Amino acid sequence: MEKKKSMIQVISVALVFFGLALWAWFKPADAFSATERRSLKQFPEVSVKSVLEGKFMEQFESYTLDQFPMRDAFRGIKAATQFYVFRQSDNNDVYMADGFISKLDYPLSEKALAATVKKYDSIYEKYIKGTDASVYYSIIPDKNYFLAGQNGYPAYDYDKMYSYLEENLDYMTYIDITAGLSPEDYYKTDTHWRQEAILDVAQKLGTGMGVNLQAEYEQITLDTPFYGVYYGQLALPVKPDVITYLNHEDFDACTIINHETGKEISMYDLQKAAGRDPYEMFLSGSVSVITIENPNASTKKELVMFRDSFGSSLAPLMVEGYAKITLLDARYLNEVMIGKFVNFDTQDVLFIHSTGVMNNETAF
Amino acid sequence: MLFSSIPFLYYFLPVVLIAYYLVPKSIKNMVLLLASLVFYGWGEPAYVFLMMASIGLGYVFGILIEKYKGTPWSKVCMIVSIVISLGFLGYFKYTNFFVSNFSAVTGISVPLLKVVLPIGISFYTFQLVSYIIDVYRGSVKAQKNFISLATYITMFPQLIAGPIVRYSDVENQLKERTVTFDKIAYGIKRFSIGLGKKILIANVLGEFCASFKETDEKAVLFYWAYAIAVSLQIYFDFSGYSDMAIGLGSMLGFRFVENFNYPFISKSATEFWRRWHMSLGTWFRDYVYIPLGGSRCSRARNIFNLLVVWMLTGFWHGADWTFVVWGLYFGILLILEKTFLLKWLEKYKALGHVYILFFVLISFVIFDSAGIGDALTHIGAMFGLGGLPFMTDITGYYLGSYGIMFLIAMIGATPLPKLLVQKLMQNKTGKTAAEILMPVVAVVILLVATGYLVDGSFNPFLYFRF
Repeated sequence: MEKKKSMIQVISVALVFFGLALWAWFKPADAFSATERRSLKQFPEVSVKSVLEGKFMEQFESYTLDQFPMRDAFRGIKAATQFYVFRQSDNNDVYMADGFISKLDYPLSEKALAATVKKYDSIYEKYIKGTDASVYYSIIPDKNYFLAGQNGYPAYDYDKMYSYLEENLDYMTYIDITAGLSPEDYYKTDTHWRQEAILDVAQKLGTGMGVNLQAEYEQITLDTPFYGVYYGQLALPVKPDVITYLNHEDFDACTIINHETGKEISMYDLQKAAGRDPYEMFLSGSVSVITIENPNASTKKELVMFRDSFGSSLAPLMVEGYAKITLLDARYLNEVMIGKFVNFDTQDVLFIHSTGVMNNETAF
Repeated sequence: MLFSSIPFLYYFLPVVLIAYYLVPKSIKNMVLLLASLVFYGWGEPAYVFLMMASIGLGYVFGILIEKYKGTPWSKVCMIVSIVISLGFLGYFKYTNFFVSNFSAVTGISVPLLKVVLPIGISFYTFQLVSYIIDVYRGSVKAQKNFISLATYITMFPQLIAGPIVRYSDVENQLKERTVTFDKIAYGIKRFSIGLGKKILIANVLGEFCASFKETDEKAVLFYWAYAIAVSLQIYFDFSGYSDMAIGLGSMLGFRFVENFNYPFISKSATEFWRRWHMSLGTWFRDYVYIPLGGSRCSRARNIFNLLVVWMLTGFWHGADWTFVVWGLYFGILLILEKTFLLKWLEKYKALGHVYILFFVLISFVIFDSAGIGDALTHIGAMFGLGGLPFMTDITGYYLGSYGIMFLIAMIGATPLPKLLVQKLMQNKTGKTAAEILMPVVAVVILLVATGYLVDGSFNPFLYFRF
């Protein structure tokens, strides 16, 4: 009888164990993880050298982790265990608060802030100092600014950050956009802000730089769900966002050039909206240099915007007031190249980055 | 290869188990040896040859010791064999320690060796040494079959993290063993418990310790929480690995010695070391302490013996002064207990628990420190030196986030869960429920542990390089 019981116990576990093992062995390899937005490791090359050096084993382990059957479901099991069994507050630093998914960005890195200031200084000294350009900076607060401290999560001292920048960027005019923002202005599953919620931000920036922005836009909502970058990191089933973008008839008259490819692009790339990262639909995503020329602009002014990905959804809302906007991503553009795209004289120059970028030691 | 890894769990283990169960008895050892070599070579292929050379020498010297039994050559063979085995260990594990200390003391810059410590060398060297000494003492016969000896030394369940299995314990099992459903069922139970201890508790506590080390906003309470976390992490990590080893051994028909017996319920350091890493403690007792004279000698000599043994115990754990201090720290506690403290601790048991928990926490802070200075800073901070606040927001956050895990770990480190299961199994309904739940729990642990493995690469094994 005891033997029979043991046999049943062994067989029940073995069925699951060997079933999973067989599945892992024979499952065709996937190329891409949609939830993590990255390519998955493929079976490594086997050679005597790679085996003797241990590289094959290392790569094989990564391959088995990436290609494990029902990978996302297993990540979900882990996340659920962590949140609901062990009652931990975050999973891989990602947490949910007030219906929003966010990622801990604590602690404040003075080294990162110094690097940001150094970058701004360097660009200013090299290209802007001594010209008639008007220089501004603004800070885009991360969702954590509104969510972390209030919900008991570690939050760094934003006042300290803002003061540090104010002290060290005293040659620039600061335009405060933080006061007008709230968590609802951001996607629930993504790090970025929602374009349809930041019209007032664009107007504030415009006013700060002496440009009146009053245009009315047509709101268009995509019918595909938007699973933001935090969705995959959280690994739990939550309701996706939707992307709404603001369109204007003048956009059709604009000439928008991606200087990485030299090709003309559109304000909103609807093909990318259906791609791996739908937020890339705004000005084609991560591009180091873009120029937008608007023949119907309300002024002849020119704007040079040093920006990160938040700027992609913001820039279209500034087009109304500027005959030309040059978007530069200083993270991906060698500083010596800036002069090839912009001849600084009387432009408005806006440095605008998110706190996530400013607090990242490797951003600049 | 680590037990707590996808390649081991879903690629290596199923193939090995199927092959092992299918082949006839006569070649089971051969299958086990080949599997163990693949297992070992997976991490560092080149060191397979070093391990096989050590085994080859042990095999030859074992036979020679027996052949020349009763003559001085037997002793010579034993000494040469031990010197060679410990020489390999010393060269790979301790050379750079001595070189760097020599450079520091003399100011003469001597370049360090560019060698990687072979995985598990401390464990298999000790097994080999115990075999040679046991053959010399006549307590076991020299193994004439090289495959059997190599199977014993390389056996993958205990190769890289113990328990340190004595040859005498498995001598007969190497010749004759049976694999039964009862043994496999027991093996599954032990392995899944170990897997859960390692991945679901030790690794999570490890994340807490990593967060503690990363933050600049430390507090006195955070230091204490870290001391508790690191102590429990090391316990669950190592005892989890031992459980997995014992479980795998059982699935293969072996019975390995126990390595842990709820050390945190001890009332003295003496008792703690009877419950912690028991296979190492008994190894040092039988092959170092007793040969030195043990306690059957003068008080001064006994103290000397204890200090030597505990310094070596610490040094075995790692080539760093922190480990030497850690070993001596326990040595001094044991000497104090032997001299006068133990009778008081036995009289006031509650005090004994508090006493040993306090000193064990401190010991693991030393154990986990980057150096003696670091250890002193940590210990000082626990007692308010350094002007730290008692509590900070960040301390509160991490304590809140890991509170349940602390509770699970603290309860899990006592026999309470085991006693509850035993109580449950006292009546028929409870026994049936436990029997039905056993495979369910094993599968749940396997699936959740797999989720943790797939989700992240945070999976270091603390005793990996000892």
